[in-house]
Amino acid sequence: MRYKWRTGQWAFVLHRVSGLALSVYLVMHLYVVSSLYQPENFNKVMAFLNQPLFKLLEIGLLGAVIYHSLNGIRVGLIDFANGTAKHALIFWVLMAIGAVIFIAGAIPFLHHGGVL
Amino acid sequence: MKITFKVYRFDPQSGKAPYLQDFPVEVTPGMTILDALGEIKAHQDGTLVYRRSCRSGICGSCAMKINGFNRLACETQALLLKQSVIHVEPLPGLKPIKDLAVDMEIFYEALARVKHWLINPDPPPTDKERYQSPEDFKKIEVSTSCILCASCTASCPSFWADKNYLGPAAILKAYRYSFDTRDKGFADRVGALDNKHGLWRCHTIMNCTDCCPKHINPTESICHLRRMTVENKY
Repeated sequence: MRYKWRTGQWAFVLHRVSGLALSVYLVMHLYVVSSLYQPENFNKVMAFLNQPLFKLLEIGLLGAVIYHSLNGIRVGLIDFANGTAKHALIFWVLMAIGAVIFIAGAIPFLHHGGVL
Repeated sequence: MKITFKVYRFDPQSGKAPYLQDFPVEVTPGMTILDALGEIKAHQDGTLVYRRSCRSGICGSCAMKINGFNRLACETQALLLKQSVIHVEPLPGLKPIKDLAVDMEIFYEALARVKHWLINPDPPPTDKERYQSPEDFKKIEVSTSCILCASCTASCPSFWADKNYLGPAAILKAYRYSFDTRDKGFADRVGALDNKHGLWRCHTIMNCTDCCPKHINPTESICHLRRMTVENKY
């Protein structure tokens, strides 16, 4: 179905996609944490995770968490605070805040990863 | 200026799949999409089917998808779209009957489900009518201007995915009567509203509000009704 994509539709689809991604992450996270029972195993898993790919995924995770929580605030404002008329403005203000948090958060990640 | 109209053509009796047909039209300033369709029907192809009545944004018959966005053909000036090619398609999400005409049955059925009329078991205070103060009318004024064109419901991704969903237009009507100070029918409507095909199917995507030709905000009505439903329940 070809229909014009406006802010609300982008916000909704990205919310679903980031939500699904976070659910998948949660399962992987529980798997990693479950190896804590055996110190040797845990060290192996941590060594495996010390690849550039996982550093990138970590930054993706940061982005998903920031987007999902900030858009969640927007949905709350729409539902409970009559935010419907200003929904697009709320979206872009929150995304600007999100961009700042994302950059501030990604720099230490890259430092630890040895990229910066 | 010459504009090419790519018009959705569909004839179920022909057995052919729907396709877009090109119609070049000489467009003059002030000419609407509906005028252009009339031009095509009169001079190029008399078999073109579309709905129209008032030509002035009151009847709501000519809502269609124009350049990927639901609008009234009679209120959309071709030159203001600033495109040399204009796509004209039927409302999305509703079953096409022929060319630009769609089956509105599920749209009207959703309206009946929310009982879009005044419900008040008490007899009127006088034997004439139930009066309403201008202040009380102000509370619902915007929602009374809905012309039932179905632009909103047909723009809603939740409705595309769930044809049993009431849709923004029907919920707006439920709001218009439930928040009317003369109405006592919310208890009769809440059954149709408070379920997964009702208020809670809305994901605040806002397509309905973006496209409403009467500048109504159905999403806000949905949010008000959600709060009313929750307050009534708990």
